[in-house]
Amino acid sequence: MIQVDNLVKTYGDRFAINNISFKINKGDVVGLLGPNGAGKSTTMKIITGLMSPTSGTAKVCGFDVFENPLEVKKRIGYLPENPPLYLDMTVENYLKYVTELKKVSIKECASNVESALEKTQLKDVRHRIIKNLSKGFKQRVGIAQALVSRPEILILDEPTVGLDPKQVAEIRDLINELKGQHTIILSTHILSEVQAVCNKIIIIHQGKLILDDSIENIQKLRQPQTQLNIKVRLDKDLSFEFKKISGVLSVNQVNPCSYRIQIEDDEVTTEAILEFIIQTKAGLLEMSVNENNLEDVFLSLTYNKSEEAVKI
Amino acid sequence: MRSVWIIFKKEFLGFFSSPLFFLMAFVATVLFSITFSMGIQNFATLLSNGMYQMGANPQQLNIHYAVFLQHLSLVNLLFIFFTPALAMRLLAEEKKNRSFDLLMTSPITSWQIVLSKYLSLITVLFAIEILAFIYIFFAQQMFQFDLLPTILTGTGIFLVGAVYASMSLFASSLTDNPMVAFIIGIVLNLGLWIFGGLADFTDHVAYKKIIEQISVNQHLQLMIDGIFKTSSIVFFISIIFFFCFLCERVIESSRWRST
Ligand SMILES: Nc1ncnc2c1ncn2[C@@H]1O[C@H](COP(=O)(O)OP(=O)(O)OP(=O)(O)O)[C@@H](O)[C@H]1O
Ligand SMILES: [Mg+2]
Repeated sequence: MIQVDNLVKTYGDRFAINNISFKINKGDVVGLLGPNGAGKSTTMKIITGLMSPTSGTAKVCGFDVFENPLEVKKRIGYLPENPPLYLDMTVENYLKYVTELKKVSIKECASNVESALEKTQLKDVRHRIIKNLSKGFKQRVGIAQALVSRPEILILDEPTVGLDPKQVAEIRDLINELKGQHTIILSTHILSEVQAVCNKIIIIHQGKLILDDSIENIQKLRQPQTQLNIKVRLDKDLSFEFKKISGVLSVNQVNPCSYRIQIEDDEVTTEAILEFIIQTKAGLLEMSVNENNLEDVFLSLTYNKSEEAVKI
Repeated sequence: MRSVWIIFKKEFLGFFSSPLFFLMAFVATVLFSITFSMGIQNFATLLSNGMYQMGANPQQLNIHYAVFLQHLSLVNLLFIFFTPALAMRLLAEEKKNRSFDLLMTSPITSWQIVLSKYLSLITVLFAIEILAFIYIFFAQQMFQFDLLPTILTGTGIFLVGAVYASMSLFASSLTDNPMVAFIIGIVLNLGLWIFGGLADFTDHVAYKKIIEQISVNQHLQLMIDGIFKTSSIVFFISIIFFFCFLCERVIESSRWRST
């Protein structure tokens, strides 16, 4: 569906993106992750044909973005970082205009506008001038604008920026609902968002692709161990005893009553630890499991980038 | 072609939803009313008084030159300033608001963008010129005269306006600051006349001839005198095409530059 090969974009002698290649299949929902300035927006701009790369190629539905831009643009709905709004139009007229620009047949225009208004819950403000809307509503109009032509591919650059939590959840539901009908690429900094809606993750760091995999693989990849946080009543050092339980990798006594225990990821070890606490009558007050989540993967890949992380 | 129509329609209606257009129409109407009635009055005094007529040159005794030409020159003057003001919202302001990204990611070519915006701009100029012609048509009801030279002059002024439009649109494509686009547009429009005026400063016969051939003054003057040449039309269309072409190139190149 989307194939990107050795994409490079330089500004002067700085690399905005450096040799990025990936492939996205039909129906995928892809989360494009990376810290600020990683090159997410740049990658998206190239795929949408807004910008040309310094070198490399991008293909959408088999059409090269630069040789056949019109075919590509017909199939893409794009929400840029700044929603491209005409501030002195009404929401409805604006969406109608976008539909027409995207070459949707005249018959379908009206129904497309209706359903986009519906999906982004903009019906109440349809006759308002966009200039007078709040930031969150403008963002929603931006999302509606990307959806309105019912494109095969949706490219959303930080779609939930500026929205209130309820709206964020609703956009998430919307994306889940759109799954299957569209291939979606979205960029974001919010990891829970990616976990909630995406089935594939691409992480970019300093212009380089450092990870491109499905969500399940990533979670498996980084889960050889789990951390247990335990709080007991007894203020006697139990570290030594904990260490003797098989499967425990390390124990860290945070304060007299609290421990952080790294264990191998299996239930038997957890059970053994709990049994031990009960037997010693230490008085278990609290226990929580810190699973290795996406955030750890993300942070370890981008911030404290070690050799090991690069290998992944 | 449908895309051109869609953008044209949106831009054209957009002009009417901005207060700017109404301000311009207002200013134009006030000025037209004042100069036209004064022109007619002076002309009437001149005709009714045999004394004045003796020293006057024949052009002053012709309503076409004495009243209408003056009237239409005002249209030209207004166009010099109105066109860049109208054009600045077409591209520069779009870039500023980022709505330009929508056009750049829609299935349309740069040519379609330029063409539709250009057409909407000259349509508005046409509307302003119609305002000016209302006065002339009413004069036709009262006096007997040949309207044809005046219509030809009007066409000439409109063509000059169309040249301003292409230059102002080009200016608008250069920047994402509407004010800068406006100023560049005015400079280009005035530059057109300054360039034509250069002919008076050279004594070199060949240079003089060349400048006259490629300046609007000469071609417009021919039309004012009632001479219609296809070479004039070709001349105007070539300048218009040249600036529209530059404009299209600038838009296309924005993909390569940083946005
Ligand atoms: N017009 C420009 N001129 C020079 N450098 C630029 C320009 N636009 C972007 N860059 C650089 O390109 C790099 C990638 O930018 P990009 O906008 O793609 O980042 P991003 O991943 O979208 O970041 P964010 O999360 O902040 O949106 C950055 O280092 C940025 O400084
Ligand atoms: Mg970005």
